[in-house]
Amino acid sequence: MNKKIDSRNNLVIMIIMIVLSVAFLIPILIVFMNSFKGKLYISDTPFKLPSKTTFVGLNNYIEGIVKIGFFKSFGWSLFITIFSVAAIVFFTSMTGWWLTRVKTKFTTALYYMFAFSMIVPFQMVMFPMVKVSNMLHLDNPFGIIVIYLGFGAGLSVFMFCGFVKSLPIEVEESAMIDGCTPILTFFKVVLPILKPTAITVAILNTMWIWNDYLLPYLLIGNNYKTIPIAIQYLKGGYGAIDMGAMMAMLVLAIIPIIVFYMLCQKHIVKGVISGAVKG
Amino acid sequence: MEKTLKKYFPIFVLPTLIAFTIAFIIPFILGVYLSFCDFNTVTNAKFIGFGNYSKAFSINREFINALWFTIKFTIISVTTINIFAFLLALSLTREIKGTNIFRTIFFMPNLIGGIVLGYIWQLIINGILYKFEVTLTFNAKYGFWGLVALMNWQLIGYMMIIYIAGIQNVPEDLIEAAKIDGATPVQILKKIIIPMVMPSITICLFLTLSNSFKLFDQNLALTAGAPSKKTTMLALDIYNTFYGRSGFEGVGQAKAVIFFILVAAIAITQLVITRKKEVESE
Amino acid sequence: MMRKLKKVAAFAMATTMFASSLIGCGSSSTDTSATTNSITTEANDTTKKDAATKGAEEIYFLNFKPESADVYNEIVTRYEAESGVKVKVVTAASGTYETTLKSEIAKTDAPTIFQINGPVGYQTWKDYCADLSKTDLYNNLTDKGLAVSEGEGVYGIPYAVEGYGIIYNDEIMQKYFALEDKAVSILSTEEIKNFATLKSVVEDMTKHVKDLGIDGVFANTSLAEGNQWRWQTHLANLPLYYEFSENKDYDTTTAAGLAADEIQFKYEENYKNIFDLYINNSTVAPTLLGAKTVDDSMAEFALGKCAMVQNGNWAWGQISGLEGNVVKEDSIKYLPIYTGVAGEENQGLCIGTENYFAINNEVSPEKQQASIDFLNWLFSSDTGKAFVSNDLKFIAPFTTFSDAQRPTDPLAKQIFAWMENGSITVNWTFAAFPSEEFKNYFGSALLEYAQGNATWDDVVSVVKESWASERAAAK
Repeated sequence: MNKKIDSRNNLVIMIIMIVLSVAFLIPILIVFMNSFKGKLYISDTPFKLPSKTTFVGLNNYIEGIVKIGFFKSFGWSLFITIFSVAAIVFFTSMTGWWLTRVKTKFTTALYYMFAFSMIVPFQMVMFPMVKVSNMLHLDNPFGIIVIYLGFGAGLSVFMFCGFVKSLPIEVEESAMIDGCTPILTFFKVVLPILKPTAITVAILNTMWIWNDYLLPYLLIGNNYKTIPIAIQYLKGGYGAIDMGAMMAMLVLAIIPIIVFYMLCQKHIVKGVISGAVKG
Repeated sequence: MEKTLKKYFPIFVLPTLIAFTIAFIIPFILGVYLSFCDFNTVTNAKFIGFGNYSKAFSINREFINALWFTIKFTIISVTTINIFAFLLALSLTREIKGTNIFRTIFFMPNLIGGIVLGYIWQLIINGILYKFEVTLTFNAKYGFWGLVALMNWQLIGYMMIIYIAGIQNVPEDLIEAAKIDGATPVQILKKIIIPMVMPSITICLFLTLSNSFKLFDQNLALTAGAPSKKTTMLALDIYNTFYGRSGFEGVGQAKAVIFFILVAAIAITQLVITRKKEVESE
Repeated sequence: MMRKLKKVAAFAMATTMFASSLIGCGSSSTDTSATTNSITTEANDTTKKDAATKGAEEIYFLNFKPESADVYNEIVTRYEAESGVKVKVVTAASGTYETTLKSEIAKTDAPTIFQINGPVGYQTWKDYCADLSKTDLYNNLTDKGLAVSEGEGVYGIPYAVEGYGIIYNDEIMQKYFALEDKAVSILSTEEIKNFATLKSVVEDMTKHVKDLGIDGVFANTSLAEGNQWRWQTHLANLPLYYEFSENKDYDTTTAAGLAADEIQFKYEENYKNIFDLYINNSTVAPTLLGAKTVDDSMAEFALGKCAMVQNGNWAWGQISGLEGNVVKEDSIKYLPIYTGVAGEENQGLCIGTENYFAINNEVSPEKQQASIDFLNWLFSSDTGKAFVSNDLKFIAPFTTFSDAQRPTDPLAKQIFAWMENGSITVNWTFAAFPSEEFKNYFGSALLEYAQGNATWDDVVSVVKESWASERAAAK
């Protein structure tokens, strides 16, 4: 009896879910569809399929790629994201372990300072940070890695500390007694155990840095345009919005994200859950 | 071990600490200091006391308006996102086919960056409004609800995942036992599921709260404040004050400090609530 | 225990000291870079020509005109090939020039050439403007009064005379005048000499859109963010020009405008006349204007969907460059913007210069000189001049240009014709507008009015109030 109601309910829910999934995908599909339409036919009739007169093939893609130098932007986004995330994982895992294992007033103070930085909104430090980076000549795609390491350190150190706290100290101690230096101990013994947290930290930071707009815009935006900057620049950079190129570039910006998601879906979902619980 | 380890401070901590100092500590201290100064390039700062703070409110109504807009937006989007996400999570923890595919689809928008999201929704909303011969900039209401729709689209999947994790932690036999005792589904939800997933609810509430309150990219791309700055949120207003014109950098920094205090207040409230819960459950 | 505390304290001290040293040393950093540069200058000083140019290997040009970005890139490639000096070009997105300039000029690698929008811009950037009175650039100006000057010094050099009015497609107009049931007695667009005639022609044309094969008489009144300048700057020029020209204490309307702490907006009714005509006889409904861009407007005109559009000679590229454009070159003509002011029968086009080159005096003297050399090359060498006239399409106000070297596109030719036909040119007075913010407030108010969310009185009070408050804020 109950089972019957249950299965009927499940069917209803499933239909609702299917409808909702379609609704969730539609915005992206509409953008995709419009990326093949002439720029004058987009803003007025975005829901119409391309027709003989409005279909322009790959013109918008070619136009957009040339206009904003898409592959260059893609390259800079990739470069900055990969190296910043690598730097963050590498250095903050070391810092997190050290801060947890060495217990002094100084380390506690430092730990709270890292934790504190998590609640400070970017606008608070935006203006002076740009100025300081400029004075230290960090306003280039290499220097910005230092800035990302510094600004991303808060959450990452916090997460590594949280995880190290739950680890038994004995394994490390015995390694040290066996004559391992702290550096060897860290890389041979600790880091392998830290792997799940390292993946979480990497995922969270990748999502942040890849999509970040304001920080790179203010720091390097005039000379090196990452993808979000290039897309925002399309709006006003050429006297007027070219809707066709805009649609094509939106599609190109979404594709890498979907690929990334498909490849590491499990890690991403795990990452955001543990990130949320800690943060 | 601790003693040997201490000597390794330069290797383990110094690189992070230097970057942290450059990117955060110095800018933060400078930021607080500059909010009391008249300046336009940091190097020519003159101390003027609280002038910038009173100017932030008195020079025009933009900051107050942005504050109200942000608060209203935050309340609406936090409520809608969490209700929808919770309902989705409940549905997707039942035994129906394809839950994994549904989860995948609902979560995906969360990975797309704010600027891209803003332009996607600008197209969709303008396209719908076009049928009524108006556009997004016609009325601040459209921009407001546009942002709410966008935020829902982006965050529902994320929150859903956290709720699912919470619901899955509810012991199966507890529900079974309640069912045998003749509890209705509503009773089960109220008496068992909701209390058990309370930690997830707290997390989701604060995640959506701080995400909505600090919103910038989506705001910039969707409406950029139009019409007449009526859809400007706090973060965008601060940015406009800094970079909109010369001579108002101090006011911008003062607004940023106020903004920081508000965000910090939210975070500390969360911390206190979470701590209290932990103590209670112990 | 105490030792640890001391360590923490020492760290905090060091941090603060580092921070304060940053505040302190910023101003001297430019000096250091100047010295390093002069050292390299001496080291490189092997060739004959002026050592200064050789010293600065790279200069930085912050471009104002997004539509010219590609051309400038071509120009600097050629210049580098000819002179060995690298010119970095950065183009600010439309509506963000001031913002970009502000963030860029604070950097150690600051722009060496930037642009100011006249006396008001000069007030903001005067600390950075080098005196150019001794340069060839200034000496070659056809009219030295055009430059931005203060006392003996000259700080901004105009580089393009531009004009705007109502561009019309004569083919469509002739079609209208050939209609049998037209409501007006005149026979050609040239006979439109005041607002009343313009209004009756336009409104009658709106009744005949189907016969004429157009969607509307005027192209859309683009009011999207960053696309409002045709209305809050260019169209606003007319009522304020008339208002300021009544102030006899000053020689020019710009001077009178700069001295005005408040405005009466006496000719608001005239602004409303023409603005209403634009939005009510257009290709799109007024409620949709918030999403429309200048590009959309020009595309409508180029595709023959409308008969008229208000814009300047710089828009030629947007008409000719559009795929599928149907407008014939010899059918493109200009009509002055009539607003119903008494005596407007003699009014001509709005002609003036909006932008001025300035040289950043905070960079090393070598870089300043190299920047001036680049601009000299651009406006006096044959290669440079060809770029200016053929690609940038500037009507350059320098004596180095012969008549044959002027741009030859139909809009530029029309500007020359109007300058010489005896009509009274409306000077560009908007250089006296108090700030960019003032224009933005004006534009937002216009959008709300067009959409029906605000009354005209609201617009008038926004204009008056924001003029007063922005003028006061700038002081």
